[in-house]
Amino acid sequence: MRNVFYFMLLSLFVGGCATTGGVTSFSNAEDTGNLHEKERRLWHEAAGFDDTIARSDQLYENKQATVYLQNVMDRLYPEFKGKIRVYIYDSTELNAFALPNGSVYFNLGLLARIQNEAQLAAVMAHEAAHFIEKHSFKQRVSTKNSAAFALSGIPFASLAAASSISGFSRDLEREADAKGYERLVKAGYNPREAHKVFQHLADEVDALGLEEPYFFSSHPALVERINEFKHLSSNYKGKGRIGSKSYNRVISPLRLEALHKDIGQDRYKSVILVMEDGKMRRYYPSASYYYLGEAYSRRDEKGDNSKALKAYRTAVKKSPKFAPAYMRLGMHYMKTGSKKKARYYFKKYLSLAPKDARDRGYVEHYLKSL
Amino acid sequence: MIKKALALIVLVLLTSGCAQTAYWTMTDDVNRVVKSTSFQMSVPEGWVRTTKPVTWERIEIDGEPQTILLESMAVTRDGTGIHAITVTRHYPDTSFPTIKRKSVANMLPPEVADLYVSELRKRSGLERLKVLSNKPAKVNGKPAFRLVMQYKNEDGLRIRIVSYGFVDKTGFYTINYRAPYLYYYKRDYKKFTSVVRSFKQLKSADDPPPEIPAWAKLFT
Repeated sequence: MRNVFYFMLLSLFVGGCATTGGVTSFSNAEDTGNLHEKERRLWHEAAGFDDTIARSDQLYENKQATVYLQNVMDRLYPEFKGKIRVYIYDSTELNAFALPNGSVYFNLGLLARIQNEAQLAAVMAHEAAHFIEKHSFKQRVSTKNSAAFALSGIPFASLAAASSISGFSRDLEREADAKGYERLVKAGYNPREAHKVFQHLADEVDALGLEEPYFFSSHPALVERINEFKHLSSNYKGKGRIGSKSYNRVISPLRLEALHKDIGQDRYKSVILVMEDGKMRRYYPSASYYYLGEAYSRRDEKGDNSKALKAYRTAVKKSPKFAPAYMRLGMHYMKTGSKKKARYYFKKYLSLAPKDARDRGYVEHYLKSL
Repeated sequence: MIKKALALIVLVLLTSGCAQTAYWTMTDDVNRVVKSTSFQMSVPEGWVRTTKPVTWERIEIDGEPQTILLESMAVTRDGTGIHAITVTRHYPDTSFPTIKRKSVANMLPPEVADLYVSELRKRSGLERLKVLSNKPAKVNGKPAFRLVMQYKNEDGLRIRIVSYGFVDKTGFYTINYRAPYLYYYKRDYKKFTSVVRSFKQLKSADDPPPEIPAWAKLFT
């Protein structure tokens, strides 16, 4: 597979496009109608990638959240309204990427970790800068980054998508930082929030021993990004918009969904890390304690069974209408022989869970057997 | 280097017809009951099935290839690339190898189902594998789960998977049906349910686990 990528890359170089000279950035939406032929091909590849994502159910459908994200993008880049389109990518990996045709994807997992609109805008401005400055096209014609295509590990990505997702060269990332920062301040956001999102994600990457998310390319690049944003915002004296309430009102339900997906993919370490961090936990709905219980059950270390029970009880206390925690408590009491308690929790579950709830059949079955 | 050479020799022997039996057998009216090491089932007439049970599989755990014990048989009418019924038995220590969880006999079916879905997602890379339903069932008289799952492939084709599964002290058993929802799924679903109904564990399920063949380890 790698050989194929190398071959394709080699073909491009031999094809005579190994120079970045003359690549000018877009200044507004109208510019995007005037593309170089090779650039048009890159857009075509990116559109194919968009199609693949859409038809294979990789988009996370939430109209309110998508409209909100698009509005933030349009506030940052009003002159590109209609040309830069924001989507939510249904993945819990901490990632965001911009395709050369102006499609910007934010992973559900990343949105769950961002704390406010200013942090979102910082990542968004950075990603949009990749598009406006034509970084995919510049990277394609550069010989420096040949390995990025081959090592991206993306199973069905075109070259255009691979370069966008796996990160750009350090120079291009620095340029996106600088251009994104300018736009962040111009749009009225507080740039002192920018480094915080990268810092938090770096902490998570370190704590979990994760392989580097594509977004960061490499750990030095991530540290550089934090330092760069700290440096850029050090002289900022303004009181820009942070937008904590508006962001969390829209994103809060997505956080629950992200935890659900984390558990479904056995990423229990990530759930425990987030939910044991008091600063981060306050951004999560109280029903999230249920997922903390699930995470302890999955980890299954000494003492985790009692931790899980405590978390389920907290979920029931803090979010009494959230049904799944009742089912877990019912199952626990059924297994330990406390039939009366088991019946209570199972009945409570049935009274709260939707008629088509996934686990309803089990609870009805167990209730009959008790 | 020696390991690679030996692996190559084994592969050549297998593919050049030196293997004792054919990998696939056509099922007719006299050989519809298929016996594996620890279970048996009835297979639809006219379908092909694996002649002998597979006893191990090679999987990646945390990026490292490993060989684990697994008993499995497959049945198909049109080819496994299109649709298949697979029956598997994992031994307790490696019931959910990728997520590194063992199975214990007192696990409840919904607990087992959750672990199984996580295992499938992690092992196959199908992060967006959706669970459409998860209901209690019985297999061979034992409490089991019945999962209906679905994903879309890169071409947007809906692939549906129905899995029955249960655990006991001898391991984790699954009976799975995978087919494109378009045409194939409905066409053969009834045949799948008849395979599920015919599934029986054999006394030999209580035997101690076999050794992984030395040559199979060469692949890791």
